[in-house]
Amino acid sequence: MIKIVKRDQPSKAIFFFTPVLAIFLTLIAGGIIFYILGFKPFEALKFFFIVPIADKYGFSELLLKATPLCLIAIGLSFCFKSNNWNIGAEGQLTFGAIVSGGVALLFYDQEGFYILPIVILAGAIGGMIYASIPAILKTYFNTNEILVSLMLVYVSKLILDYLVVGPWSNPEGFNFPETRQFSDSARLPLLFEGLRIHAGIFLALAAVVISWFVFYKTYLGFQMKVSGFSLKTAKYAGYKGKKMIILVFLISGACAGLAGVGEITGPIGQLHREVSPDYGFTAIIVAFLGRLHPVGIIFASLVVAITYLGAETAQIFMQIPKYTGQVFQGMILFFLLASDYLLFFKFKLIGSKK
Amino acid sequence: MNTNLKISNVTKIYPGCVANDDVSLEFNSGKIYALLGENGAGKSTLVKILSGVVIPDEGKIYLNKNILKLNSPSDAKKNDIGMVFQHFNLFETLSVFENLIIDSDEQRENLKEKIDTIMKKYNFSVDLDVPVLNLSAGQKQKVEIIRCLIRSPKVLIMDEPTSVLTEQETSELFLSLKKFSEEGILIIYITHKLKEVMQLCDEVAVMRRGKLVSVSQINNENIESLANKMVGQDLKTIKKKKENTSSEQLIKITNLNFTSEDPFETNLVDINFSLNRGECLGIAGISGNGQSELFQVLSGEIISNKNSIEFNKNFIGNLNPQERREYLMAFSPEDRLEQAAIPQMAIFENVALNNFKSSNFFNNGLINESKIKEHSKKIISEFNVNTDNIDLKSQFLSGGNLQKLIIGRELITSPDLLICFNPTWGLDVGAINYIHETLIKINEQNKSIILISTDTDELLKLSDKISVIHRGKLSKIMNAEDVTSEKLGILMGGGN
Repeated sequence: MIKIVKRDQPSKAIFFFTPVLAIFLTLIAGGIIFYILGFKPFEALKFFFIVPIADKYGFSELLLKATPLCLIAIGLSFCFKSNNWNIGAEGQLTFGAIVSGGVALLFYDQEGFYILPIVILAGAIGGMIYASIPAILKTYFNTNEILVSLMLVYVSKLILDYLVVGPWSNPEGFNFPETRQFSDSARLPLLFEGLRIHAGIFLALAAVVISWFVFYKTYLGFQMKVSGFSLKTAKYAGYKGKKMIILVFLISGACAGLAGVGEITGPIGQLHREVSPDYGFTAIIVAFLGRLHPVGIIFASLVVAITYLGAETAQIFMQIPKYTGQVFQGMILFFLLASDYLLFFKFKLIGSKK
Repeated sequence: MNTNLKISNVTKIYPGCVANDDVSLEFNSGKIYALLGENGAGKSTLVKILSGVVIPDEGKIYLNKNILKLNSPSDAKKNDIGMVFQHFNLFETLSVFENLIIDSDEQRENLKEKIDTIMKKYNFSVDLDVPVLNLSAGQKQKVEIIRCLIRSPKVLIMDEPTSVLTEQETSELFLSLKKFSEEGILIIYITHKLKEVMQLCDEVAVMRRGKLVSVSQINNENIESLANKMVGQDLKTIKKKKENTSSEQLIKITNLNFTSEDPFETNLVDINFSLNRGECLGIAGISGNGQSELFQVLSGEIISNKNSIEFNKNFIGNLNPQERREYLMAFSPEDRLEQAAIPQMAIFENVALNNFKSSNFFNNGLINESKIKEHSKKIISEFNVNTDNIDLKSQFLSGGNLQKLIIGRELITSPDLLICFNPTWGLDVGAINYIHETLIKINEQNKSIILISTDTDELLKLSDKISVIHRGKLSKIMNAEDVTSEKLGILMGGGN
């Protein structure tokens, strides 16, 4: 008979194994779904996960998608590690894009090396401003940051909508809901001729290194670790809880804002309605799949980025709706949460005794 | 019909603690039974066993001579055992009626009729259509009671029912309980409030550290005798050698108040005391009377009025624990595993929780790991923590070793005042002795201690002055030599 027993302590090996298990189970479940839909499971999975990244262009696209996911997830890991549930990164991304886009539009007919840094900075500040709203409401008015940050997502999208349709719309744009093209000085440089991967990837890599340093080498990281384990202990140690809450929200907002900058000054080059295919939400999955660890997040962002690409490939070649990508993202999170059960429990074979 | 409930040799062992040690008890209907004990005495585990929430390792339960199989709460319900828990199990956003119908098998109409009858009979007035969140604590409890009564239970178990009730609601509850009892429902009443036991119950069973200490008729008991049984009856007269304490005042608390928003917490009312250098002030009391709140106010986890705490001639009531540490205070909270230390972190990381500035654990926001480790090694050797691996996660330390580590961490900065809360709770004799010796040594170095403890022996052994906390109020401060066990017993029960 198999019995489920509680572990004496969470297993470290299992801690890093469950994300892999979750991905594996997602593949199996995905195969089954494809089969039910009448496709050959292996072929479909191949179109989903291998074909999209089989060439140079595909690989560049993978990195392009993984960049914002990684950047946002790194920011979120600051919040999640300290028990702050910011799920509004999508809004912070959008608002960062709005602010940096606004600044870029000011310079639309100018060139100069100084423009890009200002635009990038504006995006980070925009994200921070937007993240400070749930943070301040949480610390001073006891609101729930989950609700506030989530609802602000929709507010930011409506603001963006209003701007690109109204005051910021391109005067020569035949009423399309989009702004002017930014000047080349406001664009992140491309890394390779003919590929879309741009310098934003360095922002993400920098975020990975910085966050690793903060988590493991600084007092702030230590305080976050303690608060994550026990808020009671943090209080007893005398950590300034409110300041830390605001700080982690600002960091997280800045990262999301930068991801927004990367989108509009990288592949898009202007503001329009859809600056992000829900990177801000998907990054939550990335953060947890990566175990809130900087290196884990790199791998997780690559895995999840494939689902974006795979969905498109599968739609083009097999006429599978591209929303299947979201199904895969959902399944990854679902299986991750389910297999986390193994962190605390284990199966034990016991002899049948009566 | 007479109901007889019998608990026979019940034992329940949790890792590291025997919650119920061979407990046997017998109850008969027509009487109200009190199950009395401190927090952690095992009474909650026992009632959880009776209500099917916890399955005992050994022992049997009989209802009217029939053996009961209680593997789940629904088994208890089927066998006519009703239970009202201390924390309500109600859906806040659903109406009262919806809450009642959820776990009932009756038809809507029948149920309504039944509820009406019950409400009329016992004079309950609860509006069935309002959402539960609009009800007072007393009304919520009535909903819970009605939920039990619908099933016409033979046994009704009440777990600390008055902890959230007002005086008025409490007396209403007592009237209802007496009525239930007259109607033949067997009532088991769990509490640590002595007055209520004297007021309400016919028989009282006292538990301590998982064991049944005594069963007696209420007529043969009084508040003091019960208090002594609860906290350990051998109030020995070992006292520490009286040192010449200085007359220099170290800390003075003036008109300190704390009003909590949480109904499960105790408000502190007008706390006033002062303490000289080299003295140990013991604060006695039955747990749940405001000790935890007092500790938090003194440590700075709860910030209060700046002028209410004067320490070393500085007013520090508005400072947080870290800032208070810089004025040479140190704190050892009650909960070792959830507050004083983080079990999942290494020993040296736990040492860094006491971020005393001149320890230089953190420079310019960076972790100075070598400094922390150096410090940790010092603590481990000076305070006899039985390990030499400071990278070990602290969950692998025994309770005694962990407590030594915590006390060591707090004392290594040589503070003027150590505030500790139940420092020896759950430790073995060896560790207890070590902690006691350490505390005596601090006093000898002309440093002061505030010792909040529910262990009377410990208080009498270590304190120079003793005060008793009851319902958030502090009694006047007495010299330890003048204190007798009887006096403490009376004060702990709320007498004068």
